[in-house]
Amino acid sequence: MDAWEEIRRLAADLQTAQFADTVQRLSERNCIEIITRLVQERQLEVVHTLDGKEYITPAQITKEIRDELYVHGGRINIVDLQQIINVDLSHVEARANEITRTERGVQLVLGQLIDASYLVRLAEEVNDKLQEAGLVTISELCKTYDLPGDFLTEELSRRLGNLVQGQFDQYNRGVIYTPAFVARHKARIRGLFSAVTRPIPVITVIGAFGFHEHLLYSVLEELVSSGRLQGSVVGGRQDQAVYIPDIYSRTQNTWVDNFLQQNGYLEFDALVRLGIPDPAGYIKKRYRSSKLLFLREACVGSALVDQLEASVEEAVSSSSWVDLQPMLPSSLSEEDVGMLVSQAMRNAGVMTSASVLGDSVVVSQKFVSSCLALFDDAMQLKAHKEVKNNPVFLLTEEDMKHTSSVTESSAPSKKEKREAERRKKTTEGSGSVKGGGGGGSNAREVRIRKTKKKGRRDEDSDEDTGPSSQQGRSKAPEVSFMTSEEVVVVLEAKIGDFPEETLVELADHLARPLSKAYQEVVRAVFLSSSSSPSGANKKKSMKDLQEEVVNLFSNIRLFEKGAKFFSDETQVHITRHMLKTLCSDLTNVMVNFLAADLMMSLEDPSCITSEIRAKILGKLPEEVRSPLMKLHCCLSGKSIEDFLNHVESSAEACGLLLRKGDKKRERQSLFVHRNALMEQLKQTEEPALVLHLTSVLLFQTSTHCMLHAPGRCVPSIIGTLIGRIATESQQLLSQYQALVVKQLVNQKTGEKQGKKKEEKKKKKEEEQEKKEGEEQEEEEKEKEQEEVDVRAELLTLMPQVKDLVLGQAKTSINED
Amino acid sequence: MSDDVTRRAVSDIPLLKTNSGPRDRELWVQRLREEYVSLIRYVENNKAADNDWFRLESNREGTRWFGKCWYVHELLRYEFDVEFDVPATYPATAPEVAIPELEGKTAKMYRGGRICLTDHFKPLWARNVPRFGLAHLMALGLGPWLAVEVPDLVSRGLVTHKENQLLQPPSAGAS
Repeated sequence: MDAWEEIRRLAADLQTAQFADTVQRLSERNCIEIITRLVQERQLEVVHTLDGKEYITPAQITKEIRDELYVHGGRINIVDLQQIINVDLSHVEARANEITRTERGVQLVLGQLIDASYLVRLAEEVNDKLQEAGLVTISELCKTYDLPGDFLTEELSRRLGNLVQGQFDQYNRGVIYTPAFVARHKARIRGLFSAVTRPIPVITVIGAFGFHEHLLYSVLEELVSSGRLQGSVVGGRQDQAVYIPDIYSRTQNTWVDNFLQQNGYLEFDALVRLGIPDPAGYIKKRYRSSKLLFLREACVGSALVDQLEASVEEAVSSSSWVDLQPMLPSSLSEEDVGMLVSQAMRNAGVMTSASVLGDSVVVSQKFVSSCLALFDDAMQLKAHKEVKNNPVFLLTEEDMKHTSSVTESSAPSKKEKREAERRKKTTEGSGSVKGGGGGGSNAREVRIRKTKKKGRRDEDSDEDTGPSSQQGRSKAPEVSFMTSEEVVVVLEAKIGDFPEETLVELADHLARPLSKAYQEVVRAVFLSSSSSPSGANKKKSMKDLQEEVVNLFSNIRLFEKGAKFFSDETQVHITRHMLKTLCSDLTNVMVNFLAADLMMSLEDPSCITSEIRAKILGKLPEEVRSPLMKLHCCLSGKSIEDFLNHVESSAEACGLLLRKGDKKRERQSLFVHRNALMEQLKQTEEPALVLHLTSVLLFQTSTHCMLHAPGRCVPSIIGTLIGRIATESQQLLSQYQALVVKQLVNQKTGEKQGKKKEEKKKKKEEEQEKKEGEEQEEEEKEKEQEEVDVRAELLTLMPQVKDLVLGQAKTSINED
Repeated sequence: MSDDVTRRAVSDIPLLKTNSGPRDRELWVQRLREEYVSLIRYVENNKAADNDWFRLESNREGTRWFGKCWYVHELLRYEFDVEFDVPATYPATAPEVAIPELEGKTAKMYRGGRICLTDHFKPLWARNVPRFGLAHLMALGLGPWLAVEVPDLVSRGLVTHKENQLLQPPSAGAS
């Protein structure tokens, strides 16, 4: 039972243990709770640290801040403090503010606590630096000490004189100098600017000698105003400021004075070169009293103007001319010379009685009219000649221009020209007497007109008469008298010593009055001459005309007959060709005849194009117009039948009599045509033309029909000849044809290959593909060789071919 | 399973040696004595750490225990009656502690107010038979259970603080 006793005792022990007082210990948690409660109830004033392990009283914070400030040498950042003391930043700030409020000498700058001892040390450091360098800028200090400039300026200025041996710049508070530094600078500036003799930008001086800008300006102003430096600063305190020494402006002025005195004028350009920025203003200021004439690029003294005036007056009064160029300063521009001359003329009061030619030649009006008188005789002569040629008065200039441009534009291709020539030659002897010669005279006319135009253009550019005169000129129908070149030649002969270039201008000047006068003369002469002999003339021309028309008419009919031998397609070609050539000629002749009645006729009917034709037709009286209009329309059609019908009706309208051809007449024209062609064949050397003529002639002999066909129909002509001529000659002809075709092809390809070759050459140079090039060249050589062969063969064959016709012709003539 | 504080407290409780239940007459006495020793030690340790949180006493045979336990939550003390029997198979089976007044208020409880210790405590106990005793039961079973359940019950309003509990001196029944 001992065991149970013990249990009982243990149970009692447990109870006592359980009811024993618990140790009264506050856990950490409880402590924090208690303190929080106390702080909340404002019974305790403590601040806990950031890690929450310690409490600290505000007084302790203040003390620690003071200690830290001392340890850090009088300057400490509040953020650093916060980290050191390890309490919330707001408490540190509050305490720091408290300290600055209560303690003198401690300040809060940019979140940093700074005390007086630090400032003293800073001032000493600045002083050291200042004594060493001579100047110290606040901005630099700001950077090194990381303090605001205002604060530094204030603190340093308080200590200026005792701790800091120096002074602030008067104008710029941001700099501190030592007196020694200022004196040194002053001496250097004085020396440098005393030595300057030319204007010099202050900025370059600063760059070259390392002056301090603010100091330099103030010292310079002081020296200039005190009279120590003879000169002036222009441009204030900016970058453009320029120092101009008195000695320089004095020399400048004397130079300008001398120049004006000696030469009577001043060039602005020269003044600018001397360094005067506003020459006109400068001159006006300097020579306020004297009268100077200001031109665009110079000004001129009154003496010079007077001199000019006198010579102009003299020229006018003696009714001759004068060249002012020798009296003028050579350096004046053309524009200025013009202004000067016009001024002189205005002064002399001769604006109306004299005119200016070129730049400087003054010509009196009397002199000009005397020049005009020189041309009277020549004019009369030429007018008579012109009237005889019965020129086109009423056809407007524009029309002529138009046609000329049309012919010009159709001219340029060489091949076409050749074609045209050939065509012309084949048409020759086809009855149109005037048709052949048309081209040449036309070309000449065009050329003359061209030169005239050029002359006029020059005139325009020289004179500033503007567009109005040009308009007037182009409106009025003009008959040219002489080109200005011709006028120049005449004038040169008459008045010897006139300067050459001005002579041209004088000629231009005269050209218009001359041509105007000439027109009047021509009109007068024409009217007087046309009234009397026109009746007889007309009759004669009527007769000619009728013959020509009849001739053409019958030829066309014959040609049409010839054309019927061919297939439809070829026939169309031939018909078109005929309409374009012979039929047009016929129409032109008739139209021109009618136009002559209205004084609109052209010298040469063949140069009438369809447009001009339409224009002339529009002006004709009603009853004549309609048949001719139909005729005109037929030309662009396809049928010769229609054309012939209309010709008859219109011939009636014109009062011409058309006889139907009889056999005899037909044969006669056949003969004439053939002879003309043969003549041409004898003369020609060109293979294509030879072939053309030969084939046409052969056709005529074999069919007894005339043929008027374009070159492209030659093959079909030869085709129709098969079976009609001997086989040998047939073979010869086709051989020759083949050669001609070959040659033509070669020519064409030759042109193309010429271009290709050039391109190839370039390529060759670039890529150096020599092999290919050589091959190419070889090919080319072959081609050339071939060409030469063909040409030689053609030459050898030519007489045989010619003989084919010419020999036959003899026999046929004999037959006839 | 538990925090550092609990672990230290448990490690300070002396382990038991006798593997004996209430049915063994002699050995149960010995076991009971060891239980008492360890309980006294645990209570003393708690008092020393200012962490006193229960009162316990037993019947004569030491098979039935009863008393009070309390938990401090937000500076308020919540006190409950506690009771349990030592099962016949003790110490292989842990006693089932009951807090009758909380019956039906929490899910972690069996019928009769026996707290649910199945998840964590039972395996731990099983591993430590016979070394764990009643003191371990309190420290590892009831203590953590209260720490989890009381704040939850209070927040749900199922347990309210009784004003007079504080006024009532804990040692009233001793003298």
